[in-house]
Amino acid sequence: MHSYKYIIIGGGAAGISAAETIRQNDKDGSMAVVSDEPYPMYSRVMLSKPNFFLGKIPFDQIYLKNKKWYADNKIDFLGSKRAIALNPEHKELDLDDGSHLHYEKLLIATGVKARKWNTEGSSKTGVHYLRSLEDGIGIMKAIKTAKKAVTIGGGFISFEMADLLKMAGLDTTMILRESYFWEPVLDEASGLMIENAMTNGGVKIIKNAEVTEVLGNELVEGVRLSGASKTDLQERSVFDTLPCDLIICGIGVTNGIQWLENSGVKTNRGISTNEFMETSVPDVWTAGDIAEYKDLLLEENIQMGNWVNATEQGRVAGSNMAASNKTPFKFVSFYTTSGFGISIAFVGDVSLGTDRTIVTRGSPEINSYARIILRNGEIEGATMINRSSEMNAISKMIEKNMKVADILEQLGDTNTDLKSLIR
Amino acid sequence: MAKQEYTRNRSDSKIGKIVIDRDLCIGAASCIAVSGTTFELDDENKAVVTGVDSVDDDTLTMAAESCPTKAILLFDKEGKQVFPK
Repeated sequence: MHSYKYIIIGGGAAGISAAETIRQNDKDGSMAVVSDEPYPMYSRVMLSKPNFFLGKIPFDQIYLKNKKWYADNKIDFLGSKRAIALNPEHKELDLDDGSHLHYEKLLIATGVKARKWNTEGSSKTGVHYLRSLEDGIGIMKAIKTAKKAVTIGGGFISFEMADLLKMAGLDTTMILRESYFWEPVLDEASGLMIENAMTNGGVKIIKNAEVTEVLGNELVEGVRLSGASKTDLQERSVFDTLPCDLIICGIGVTNGIQWLENSGVKTNRGISTNEFMETSVPDVWTAGDIAEYKDLLLEENIQMGNWVNATEQGRVAGSNMAASNKTPFKFVSFYTTSGFGISIAFVGDVSLGTDRTIVTRGSPEINSYARIILRNGEIEGATMINRSSEMNAISKMIEKNMKVADILEQLGDTNTDLKSLIR
Repeated sequence: MAKQEYTRNRSDSKIGKIVIDRDLCIGAASCIAVSGTTFELDDENKAVVTGVDSVDDDTLTMAAESCPTKAILLFDKEGKQVFPK
């Protein structure tokens, strides 16, 4: 059995930032990165960006590390392998190629998977997801010949994909189960702003509708819909079906943690961890999208799926694995996207609960609108449309656990510079 | 203005210029996570430098390295590109 001082499962943002940090603290400790993909670390966030997708920048720009980097840092890259079982008592890890590894310290940074679409016919060729480089390459090929695309789901994947499908010249229809875009993460006003931008960009949006069947033999030829209003469909001179030859599905993610079932590692939705990125089992850490962590600033257990969060958590986990002192993860997370001439930014925790109140800033009418989400008199998060420049100020306020009850009016007043409110 | 340049004047710094390639920048904001005193996003979700001299070379380099699209370029005082290498 091969033995490593450090084993990292997952070769993405969290895993590699951990590996890098470990190497800074421990020059010689043996280390392996296990990845279910064959590629060295690449920029997952670039997959859905038009510049990359439409070939405006060289393909290789997607890679953030090359093979030499792994060699230079004395890291064994075990690509195209999946971890299938963990025995923390003996510190053993089983991989799907039949090999067994021994570790002293283990990091689980496996990320999340694209949720599979379980509609009749959804396994036909022409139905795509976007999570891995392989997925991206598949869509890049498909858009060269496809004419009519449908996107399923109302989140950032659909938004970014619709943008690039339009740029690639495809007729694009977005099908939403919800009554507005990105419901319920955004409020209706924000959702409609984004819908307007997309509609102006030539995207057709069908709301309150669901695909009941993917039509075609082996290849996708169309979708059958239920719930779409008659006007929606008549515009396209069809009754209840919509022809298409490409479907992109962005309907959320799954955690893929079944393999840990008998390991004793505590899981909830994701893998449970404290603020030091330690799991319930000694010498096993977790980081990135899969980690359901104790957020010290928001005072709750959350899972956050974005690049910056994964990188920062990897850094903290790596440092705690290799160094003798413990650092807590304390970070205000953020995520941004843009397309169709509109920019969207999320900062902190934007999920809604009954204990949240909202201060709005700007308005849809001036095409610049933010919602600042409060809980117990402090800012918990914010959603911003065309107001990304205020992201730094808002994250500072979250970071400082600033009490804002006495400045609600200024928070909502666009004539007040948010930076001037930080104290 | 695809490329925005910022001249750095720190005496203890070997880096003389920061360049943001706005065509490459996707607003992932990892640079802000590393150095929020140097970088901010503008309303188009592109990184801009608001504190060109606010941090030392190590932190600045780490911020540039963290960019998932390599949109931050660093140059030494002689104008030679030092990152990405």
